[in-house]
Amino acid sequence: MADLGEIEAMIEAALPGAAVEVVDETGGGDHLRATVTAAQFEGLSRIDQHRLVKAAVKARFDDGAIHALSVKTAVPGS
Amino acid sequence: MADAELKQKVEELIAANPVLLFMKGTPEMPRCGFSMRVVQALDAMDVEYGAVDVLPALQPLREVTAEISDWQTFPQLYVNGELLGGADIVEEMFDSGELAEALGVEQPAAAPSPATAAAPAQAPPLQIE
Repeated sequence: MADLGEIEAMIEAALPGAAVEVVDETGGGDHLRATVTAAQFEGLSRIDQHRLVKAAVKARFDDGAIHALSVKTAVPGS
Repeated sequence: MADAELKQKVEELIAANPVLLFMKGTPEMPRCGFSMRVVQALDAMDVEYGAVDVLPALQPLREVTAEISDWQTFPQLYVNGELLGGADIVEEMFDSGELAEALGVEQPAAAPSPATAAAPAQAPPLQIE
């Protein structure tokens, strides 16, 4: 069971200035969807954008709080 | 630490197949909804691809792909030796036309209809005692 606010804060900490929204997809608290808009994504492939987001919350995967995280990334203004 | 022999085998497969999908199950019989979505996108593109069922060696393959491409979940689609992404990325790129571009094919006129795409290309194998 993950704390959605904590997950958002972890992503925001890794990508300062990013707009981050994390929602619970199933109501079970462990299958989450993150929508992240960050200037840091500019010029990166999608897989690298997703790697940044997943790396930010890796600790919560490792301790089992999250089982699945769908990620949608965007660059501001595009 | 990933199994060195398996890692070498995976690297050879990625090098030998311009389009390679690591998935749960087979294209004819996907065993996971995310894998099925990537198969549907590739089938809609009418592109030849190799497919590896990861289920017989799931954990060792996770360790191998973590080392090769810093990615541990399946499906994984590799195009020209590079990890393009999993189901989220493949679908997003399908919708935007980037997948067709990456594969070097024409974007299909219409998105695959779930009803037709979900139908297996052939009847499932019969269980014979």
